[in-house]
Amino acid sequence: MKLGNMFKKTNQKNYITLTNRKANVQNSGESSPEVPEGLMRKCNACRAVVLAESIIGNQYICPKCGNYFSVPARRRIEMLADEESFKEWDTGLTSGNPLHYKGYEDKVEALREKTGLDEAVTTGFARIGGHEVVLAVCDSHFMMASMGKVVGEKLTRAIEKATERKVPVIIVACSGGARMQEGIHSLMQMAKTSAALKRHHDAGQLYISVLTNPTTGGVTASFAMLGDIILAEPNALIGFAGPRVIEQTIGQKLPKGFQRSEFLLEHGFIDQIVEREHLKNRLEHLLSLHEKNPEAEQRLRNYKEVSESSENPDLNISEELSIAKKDEKKSAWDRVLASRKKERPVGTEYIEDLFSDFTELHGDRYFGDDPAIVGGIARFHGMPVTVIAQEKGRNTRENVLRNFAMPSPEGYRKALRLMKQAEKFGRPVICFVDTPGAFCGMEAEERGQGEAIARNLFEMSGLKVPILSIVIGEGGSGGALAMAVADEVWMLENSIYSILSPEGFASILWKDSHKAKEAAAVMRLTAADLQKHGMVERVFEEPEDLTIETLPELTLKMDRCMKLFFRKQLAMTGDEIAEMRYRRFRAL
Amino acid sequence: MIRKVLIANRGEIAVRIIRACREMGIETVAVYSEADKEALHTQLADEAICIGPAPSSESYLNMEQIISATIVSGADAIHPGFGFLSENDRFAALCEQCHIIFIGPTADVIRKLGNKSNARNTMIAAGVPVIPGSKEPLYHAEEALAIAEEVGYPVIVKAALGGGGKGMRVAYHQDELENAFMTAQKESMAAFGDNTMYLEHFVEHPKHIEFQILADNYGHVIHLGERDCSIQRNHQKLIEESPCAIMSDALRQKMGEAAVNAAKAAGYVNAGTIEFLLEKTGRFYFMEMNTRIQVEHPVTEWVTGIDLIKEQIRIADGRELSYTQEDVKLTGHAIECRINAENPYKGFRPCPGRITDMYLPGGKGIRIDSAIYSGYEVPPYYDNMLAKLIVFAKNRNEAITKMRSALGEVIIEGIDTNVDYQYEILNDPDYQSGDFDIEFIADKEEQLLNHRYAAEG
Repeated sequence: MKLGNMFKKTNQKNYITLTNRKANVQNSGESSPEVPEGLMRKCNACRAVVLAESIIGNQYICPKCGNYFSVPARRRIEMLADEESFKEWDTGLTSGNPLHYKGYEDKVEALREKTGLDEAVTTGFARIGGHEVVLAVCDSHFMMASMGKVVGEKLTRAIEKATERKVPVIIVACSGGARMQEGIHSLMQMAKTSAALKRHHDAGQLYISVLTNPTTGGVTASFAMLGDIILAEPNALIGFAGPRVIEQTIGQKLPKGFQRSEFLLEHGFIDQIVEREHLKNRLEHLLSLHEKNPEAEQRLRNYKEVSESSENPDLNISEELSIAKKDEKKSAWDRVLASRKKERPVGTEYIEDLFSDFTELHGDRYFGDDPAIVGGIARFHGMPVTVIAQEKGRNTRENVLRNFAMPSPEGYRKALRLMKQAEKFGRPVICFVDTPGAFCGMEAEERGQGEAIARNLFEMSGLKVPILSIVIGEGGSGGALAMAVADEVWMLENSIYSILSPEGFASILWKDSHKAKEAAAVMRLTAADLQKHGMVERVFEEPEDLTIETLPELTLKMDRCMKLFFRKQLAMTGDEIAEMRYRRFRAL
Repeated sequence: MIRKVLIANRGEIAVRIIRACREMGIETVAVYSEADKEALHTQLADEAICIGPAPSSESYLNMEQIISATIVSGADAIHPGFGFLSENDRFAALCEQCHIIFIGPTADVIRKLGNKSNARNTMIAAGVPVIPGSKEPLYHAEEALAIAEEVGYPVIVKAALGGGGKGMRVAYHQDELENAFMTAQKESMAAFGDNTMYLEHFVEHPKHIEFQILADNYGHVIHLGERDCSIQRNHQKLIEESPCAIMSDALRQKMGEAAVNAAKAAGYVNAGTIEFLLEKTGRFYFMEMNTRIQVEHPVTEWVTGIDLIKEQIRIADGRELSYTQEDVKLTGHAIECRINAENPYKGFRPCPGRITDMYLPGGKGIRIDSAIYSGYEVPPYYDNMLAKLIVFAKNRNEAITKMRSALGEVIIEGIDTNVDYQYEILNDPDYQSGDFDIEFIADKEEQLLNHRYAAEG
């Protein structure tokens, strides 16, 4: 039985009213139901009406769908800065309405009144997890956080003070862009803030940019995109031209997700997407990785092999290596196969074993983020280091995702960006080489594979921090060399390093790629051969069967050798390090 | 002045409220989830507004949606029914902020009574008896012995961090206590690494007796007698009745006064229920106060002749109580059986589904509050109570006879129900004698289920 509309309704007066409704209550003073302003807010993502208090209590995240609401500057500062640590600077500045734009001053004044804010950006000194920083936070409730003279001036002053005090700058950006009402004066703020950041950079100081929804226009095209490290909140709109303008110009609808944080990450413009609830922790982590650890460096400088009974600390390890060299039962081809074995540990597994506190950074800042190369900052026995690895992936799905560790130009450019960053902050660089070769394809050529490799050789040769490269699997040609212009190059017993793959060698010289086995024998590509030729400094004996389970046996030795490496390198100046590296390759 | 009420609930209680409003000439707005489009309350109300998907967290518990529906529909009051948001102080506060009349006590009162220790302290201050026990943590058996003298045997020793029966021991006499204390403490050390203990009077085999009260905005508080809700399974009531078979007039007066004092002490307004545990000795202890209308309110309605829902609305509308304590006379005997969509013979597992056919009894002294109809699909998302069958007769024996007769007429096809199980309870001699307590079902579970097998065997 369907009940639809079968019942009579009260308001159709079909029922007799039994209760005599004596009006013995006073009607005056009774207010009709209404939702007071500000009690509820509508979520733009799920369209739900949500209690304001449950949004605010949830870090301005919709409790129904997880959508991010914009955070008022003051609340953002509370969320990031240590309690009571924030000291606000430079309030009360005015632009003086340079264009005499009608009603502008009144509007600014009214907004000051309404929002309780000084201007669209709040700047000052703060501590984050105990680290001193200069913190600037934009607030979209003030004219969409557009940048006029006051915003530009406050930011510039804040950056200048940070440079002077030698502390990092953190800018939490959101903005509609330059402020129209101040015209060309607003445009100049882009140059002014960027110039201040250039000086901050040249002084070797850190700038972390945090992009929130939306960061567009002149702000994206200036300070927002200039961070040493750029973080973004999930799903934030980040772009130069607004999506509506683009759609009108090209007459097409933009795809879903265009210009969102995830899109930018994929296109190499941001390092990490960080959920709001993790932002403070992540900033703390990054700040601590940019703080020098003199004790850790001192410990490494004074490192002594535990087992060293003799005067030569390298003795034990050298002896282990000779065993490897004596093992002539394995042919070169056997080693080629071993270097390609599926079970062989991959780059990220070495990172996990040898370092702590690793945080991955993404993107080349030009075109993309290459999954074939993983890079970031970590600690080696407490000392911050930059780690970069060619990464094959641990299973077929990952192999495909990582393009079998065949890097594209954007991979090399990411590696170079991270190395230059390491140089700026005085961090040694450790590279793990494991690639069949640079990716061979149309797109790679279009974006300048050759140029990217060349640029790495060029820049690495003069990098003023120690570089150590370890060939853990295949060292395929220029694709490997682009991460191996190092102070020392180490290899594993069963890794290979060559001008070309044996298959390619056979095919070029003998027109038959099936003669790879013979090629391997004549190419001198094994670790032992390479050491004989003076191409590598160390060769590590491998466990019987090198897998993730037996990896610690190897990394334990590697760890000892790395300490010895740093003991030597940390005793030199940057210029000396670069000079030694130049000589190393000059002699080959 | 309440002209239009939004019912923030579903099922039979929503229907019950709609009917009361209709009789008062008040327009009604139902809210419903996507699963309840065909529900009786949705169809019966003057207007119905869908407030979200089936899960109650997204519909019947969605405060924002319910407030929005109220504003949109132009209702001036919300009746929360029971369950869902009925005892949610944040929701009541939200109504206050939006100038919507919440038919129930104030947010403040709900919050205070919802906090157990706060409620207990209020009751102690008002002279309402609570289960006596140690106020400070105990560490030694000697301390326990002293406290036990004060609170009276039997006593129960409880680990401060206890749970799941661990670190708990009952002592019936002084000479058992030391041993009980040491054992419980040892267990607590082993299980929780803590030796902090508490001790309180052990209420043995009590009846669950609750008093219905009504309070208006003008300081008038009356009680409407008691309900015996001792027939429960895992804290779920199955059968309720009024009056209690073993209640004397003197005890009723004493407990009623305590209930009224409790409500006054809490600053309570609207309908509420004070739950007590009643010992065989006649001693009773405050358990908690329910700040809403209860499922079993019809039994009180029948023996007092007072329509509780209408009184709730009148009170919320700012009127004085229509009755004084002297007006309240308990006449006859009412019993309520809850008919649930569950299979007692398969571990009481819920049984949602389509009701293919049904017949429900009627006649003199039979009342059915339900929201089911032939062809109705019982959704799996909510409580599985299908109907309340309430009977009224001039005394308890006749009421039991009437209930048995009525249960025999209940036909609900297509889904499993607990009708047969209820029938077994009514046949139990202990039930019939009125001599039962909250352990009744637990003690007789096997026997109640076996009857059926014997009958089928």
